[in-house]
Amino acid sequence: MARYQITEADLPYAREFLAAPIGYHSPCLQRVLNRMRGPDWTFKYVLIVVERYSRWQLGRLPAARGGRVEAVAGVYYDNLLDAERDIFKRRWRDLTGQDLDHQLSTLS
Amino acid sequence: MLPIVAYTDKLTVAPGEALTVMASSFGARTYHADLRRIIQGDTNPEGPGYKDEAIALDLGGERHAVAKAFKPGSAVIIPGHEALKGLGSFTLAAVIQPTLTTGKERLVIALPGFASLGIDAGGHLVGRLGQAEVRSAAPLTVWQWQIVSLAYDAASRELVLSSLAAPGTAAPAARPRIVTAQAVQAGPAAEECIIAATRDTEGELTGFFDGKIDRPAIFLQPIAVERLVTILADVQALRRRSDLLAAWDFSERMMTQSIRDVGPFRLDGKTRNAPKRAMTGWLWQGQELDWKKRPELYSAIHFHSTDLHDAGWSADFTLTVPDDLKSGVYAVRLVPDGDEDAAYYCVFVVRPPRDRASANTVAFLFPTCSYLAYGNHRLGLDVPGTEIGMGRAVELDRHHMFLQAHPEIGFSHYEVHNDGTGVFHTSRLRPLVDLQPKVKSYLGGYGSNIWQFNADTHILGWLDHIGQDFDVITDEDIHADGLRLLSRYNVILTGTHPEYYTRNMIEAVQAFTDRGGRLMYLGGNGFYWVVSFNEDMPGLMECRRSEAGVRPWEPGHGQFFHGFTGEYGGLWRRNGHPPNHLCGVGMTSQGFDISEPYVINPDSRTARTAFIFDGIDGTVIGDYGLAGGGAAGLEVDRADAGQGTPDHAVVLGSSVRHTDIYLMVPEDLLDPTPDWTGTQAEIIRSDLTFFETAGGGAVFSTGSIAWAGAVAWNRYDNDIARMTENVLRRFNDPQPFEMP
Ligand SMILES: [Fe+2]
Repeated sequence: MARYQITEADLPYAREFLAAPIGYHSPCLQRVLNRMRGPDWTFKYVLIVVERYSRWQLGRLPAARGGRVEAVAGVYYDNLLDAERDIFKRRWRDLTGQDLDHQLSTLS
Repeated sequence: MLPIVAYTDKLTVAPGEALTVMASSFGARTYHADLRRIIQGDTNPEGPGYKDEAIALDLGGERHAVAKAFKPGSAVIIPGHEALKGLGSFTLAAVIQPTLTTGKERLVIALPGFASLGIDAGGHLVGRLGQAEVRSAAPLTVWQWQIVSLAYDAASRELVLSSLAAPGTAAPAARPRIVTAQAVQAGPAAEECIIAATRDTEGELTGFFDGKIDRPAIFLQPIAVERLVTILADVQALRRRSDLLAAWDFSERMMTQSIRDVGPFRLDGKTRNAPKRAMTGWLWQGQELDWKKRPELYSAIHFHSTDLHDAGWSADFTLTVPDDLKSGVYAVRLVPDGDEDAAYYCVFVVRPPRDRASANTVAFLFPTCSYLAYGNHRLGLDVPGTEIGMGRAVELDRHHMFLQAHPEIGFSHYEVHNDGTGVFHTSRLRPLVDLQPKVKSYLGGYGSNIWQFNADTHILGWLDHIGQDFDVITDEDIHADGLRLLSRYNVILTGTHPEYYTRNMIEAVQAFTDRGGRLMYLGGNGFYWVVSFNEDMPGLMECRRSEAGVRPWEPGHGQFFHGFTGEYGGLWRRNGHPPNHLCGVGMTSQGFDISEPYVINPDSRTARTAFIFDGIDGTVIGDYGLAGGGAAGLEVDRADAGQGTPDHAVVLGSSVRHTDIYLMVPEDLLDPTPDWTGTQAEIIRSDLTFFETAGGGAVFSTGSIAWAGAVAWNRYDNDIARMTENVLRRFNDPQPFEMP
């Protein structure tokens, strides 16, 4: 079980991530991402390449070696930054039970 | 996924020589094959564009695609030679350290059709003779040495199954566990003895063992397990016993596939699928760390149900490389059912002729060892932390989906076996599905996200773009031919990540630069790990990741010396050949999100380096590229006099920051404190480095995997490409360099 738990206190870093998903991050955002991307999952969100460099489908990769990758029906992306934002929001919901968009709109 | 996959019997072949293709259908009904020269494999629309060239060579028409299976699993096969016939009373015995005991049946010793000793799917020891079966009440302990035996008394018809914790283990009470049953011998005599597996009714090997087996033996009378402890411990006394049928001492001929019976019947055998040898046995307790000095303590073999050496597929066809085909990177392209988009590329090198130099003075060193080390790697599939290192989600290309569906294709040096121990051996005698153009990867940075071979095609594409004639030679070629081959050239260019080197290779490249050769190291984290080949098992490579380095596993205590050669495994910097000495820089950090430019060191602009900077006036270069958007990144190297960088080496420029995904490598992170990250530690940087050698040679090192992705930026029209070309032109001029 990961030690760091994501809470409302991390909302500013969620906002930081949504503004710039790839590249330099504050240490607090990096810690949120480490929690989300680390091993403490029974599956991992992955991007199944549909067309290289232009189209991806969201997938769920099981932890067990050789397990079937589940393609999430109807969830496609045509750029990687959108994909990162969507995966972040899904993990936020999986970890906090909260809808990130809703939380950010009520915060502001 | 991949409807057809294939491999060739060699990765390097000379004009006039034959190359055999083994293909298997994973859905394809038919295929046709053609030959292509691979020029630039990256299909990123931001890049220079995919480019290959059809070679007019008839490889035959449409062929039937035949399904062939991967058959992993290591074992020892011992032909019986009649000696196994007429067994009356007997004991099968071994000392074992199982590492996986559940989920399927695993055999320790099998006399197929007659008797066996193994572990059932629930982890219980199980013995069989004819129809009779004995099973332990409790499951066996994993990771502990224990003596196991199945003894049969033909007179009393008593079958006894026993296990006993080996002396010196942490077992609470070394009391034997014994189960008995009545049994009559039935069935034919075994024609062979198999250790660590058995045969199914079709004759295929099955029931592979996971873990170590030490000193398996067969006696011609029942022996109590308490006595086996002393009997098996003394090989010299053991071989004189008159009740001995066979006893296999795995500490003999450890560098080969040969297995020696120390008993008088000489029931010698052979390993299959290259299990780990030179492994600590049940009597090893730290007395010696080098198996060459106390081989008798290295009497265990570690078997894995996931070991694979030679896929052994039947040949589909053989082609002969035309005498006039120029040296280069080629692929036999297999197009399944007319679908070019689903084509499989079987990549190989046509090297220059063996007996004479070509007219070329420039050669690209195709890093087969590093391709093999990464071959079929599963970092984004098996290792959750890969996404953290990438700083973005894992992309799964078609070949990754194939790997996920077919782990039986065998692993790379980046995986662990199912028992969590490292993969020491990787083989080219199987499809390497990531050794293809077009394929994406995990670690290639935001942008093209390509790695190893496909990333190296940025260099091949650039050489083609500037019209430079060049030969392609491989790691295996310089391992075998050494300076005989390298000395044909003025300039050797490396790939983006030439990380794995044999001693022959590193000595050859060092001798090349010492004696006037010019080395363009266009990568990062090069010349890092020690690897070895095995003369008895061609196509297989060993790596034991000892002591330090960025590594996914350790070889285990007492197992730091390679089994293939006896060399001390690990980093070349610990073995007298630090990369800094060879090329001026050595691995310092890695991160796989974004890359950075180099800030030019103004003091480095001198008469010595003027040729490098010709036409390049900026103070910052390489703030662009297909590998993370900069020329410095992914894996980066620093100049360091303490690690062997020559005094007169010039650092032309350096990256001055990286993201906090870039951390210090463990060999330099002696005291972990939280300031060793890319935004904080000055030591985390790429140093662009140049120096001359006493023999009139010179070295140019980028110290960055991302360099080639910048060369390919803007259709090869940029300062990084220009600098690379400046260096190549001067390096290809035989006029000796002067030491400053
Ligand atoms: Fe590497």
